[in-house]
Amino acid sequence: MIARAPIVAVTLRGLLDRKRFWLMVALAAVPVLLMAMAVAFSDQPVEPEDFDTAVISLVLPLIALVFGTSAIGSELDEGTIVYLLTKPVRRLRIVLAKVLVAAALTAALVVPATLLTGLVATLGGSDVLAAGAAYALATALGGTAYVVIFLAVSTFTRWALAVGLVYVLLWEGILADLLPGTGQFSVRQATLGVARELADEPIPSGAIGLEQGLISLAIFIIGGIAIATWRMSRYQVRGGD
Amino acid sequence: MSEQRHSSTITVEHASRWYGDVVAVNDISFTVDGGVTGLLGPNGAGKTTLLHMIAGLMAPSAGSIRIDDHATWRRPPVYRRVGLVPERESVYPYLSGREFVRLNAELHHLPDAVAATGRAIDMVDLADAAERKVGTYSKGMRQRIKVAAALVHDPPVLVLDEPFNGMDPRQRLHMFGLLRQMAAEGRTILLSSHILEEVERIADSVLVIYAGRLAAAGDFRSIRRLMTDRPHTFLLRSSDDRRLGSMLLTEGCVFGIELDGAGLRVRTSDYGEFTRRMPSVVRDAGIRLFELRPTDDSLESVFGYLVGR
Repeated sequence: MIARAPIVAVTLRGLLDRKRFWLMVALAAVPVLLMAMAVAFSDQPVEPEDFDTAVISLVLPLIALVFGTSAIGSELDEGTIVYLLTKPVRRLRIVLAKVLVAAALTAALVVPATLLTGLVATLGGSDVLAAGAAYALATALGGTAYVVIFLAVSTFTRWALAVGLVYVLLWEGILADLLPGTGQFSVRQATLGVARELADEPIPSGAIGLEQGLISLAIFIIGGIAIATWRMSRYQVRGGD
Repeated sequence: MSEQRHSSTITVEHASRWYGDVVAVNDISFTVDGGVTGLLGPNGAGKTTLLHMIAGLMAPSAGSIRIDDHATWRRPPVYRRVGLVPERESVYPYLSGREFVRLNAELHHLPDAVAATGRAIDMVDLADAAERKVGTYSKGMRQRIKVAAALVHDPPVLVLDEPFNGMDPRQRLHMFGLLRQMAAEGRTILLSSHILEEVERIADSVLVIYAGRLAAAGDFRSIRRLMTDRPHTFLLRSSDDRRLGSMLLTEGCVFGIELDGAGLRVRTSDYGEFTRRMPSVVRDAGIRLFELRPTDDSLESVFGYLVGR
């Protein structure tokens, strides 16, 4: 298990070995169940935008928040980070390994959940299978951006989970919708921009499209990795005495 | 891992570290060469802060810290030459002991990580428990697996923070032997402890730290003598405290007495002379001695004296 990519391996073990992983699996199943209920009990056809409500607005950021803040934050809290920091390993490599695992786990749960949600809707008579695939691809990108942001926050504060929740619920959930021109600063809006264009949907006026969305996500990912690496290269392990 | 090697040097020059208004380490300078050096001090003295600075896990607020002329702060390559056993017990609980040591070996890019892992585990005598999850280990076993992880890359410098915590007497003896053998091979070993007897049994030289300051440094025996020969206060209870007090005042090694409700307090400048003279003084006076005990023999008072010297 601890082979050529030891940081990836130990991070994966840490994130898979706890109850929270199964909690995230349950969370990823929620949109599928909601869609099944909608298909069973509603006559309204499912629209591609429903993927936003079902997956992108809450499930995606919550799963990314848990994996993103745990990947490095739990090692900082528990003190095991010392075993990584006292090695001749570049801090960028530590951060990249952590991002890779957290983003892959997030995608491993959210992408199938989005595809299944689309499949359930299609079985119910709505033609959203292709849109589901487009949204699934976008959630993989958006999930990576969320993970990087939350991981970077966790290198600054042990309250990263709370900070991330405030960002998701307050900024992404309310303010970024209300304030025009703030879409570039919202992972959700950027993810939606990518998904809509891939799904061949019209872009609402004022919303960002594929190009702007990809640029925003790239800035979030590259900037977040740079900040986390800068922070880890200066991280000081305080002594107990 | 048995060849004699050229030993490494840890150099600490005017190092200080403060957190806001709190000074944890205050203008400390010393060098440590091959052999075992004990960093002795009570809890809260600044030992862990100092070791973290030496291990490059914390920046000194002032001064410099080097290992073989290489600064340790923000220099990951220095870890090829350093093994650290941190004080905190936290070890990945979901890894087996072998996986944990192998993780450290892989992070050091060792060409044969499997063999190095096996060697390190054998050295700390944990082969029987190596396949068990670390989360199921006792405190002493966790300490030993941390030592195995620290020496898996055969570093010339070992920094150990309270390494004997939680070990039973047999495990301690084994660890003493292992560290002595590693020191004999030319390694530079710096270990902290708040227990005088631990340091006495293993260290060739000692650094005494108290309230963030270096109170004494050098050969263990001379430091030990310094600790023993400091002024002492004894509390005595006898069949005639007043008469015993006046007789003791004629002894050259006694420079003060005080009679209070608890008994007779005697201040002496020479611990050895006083304890040698006491029986004959009491016998000659025909006084019965009920109690004789030092009142300031705690490590705190010893360290406080060394700092105030």
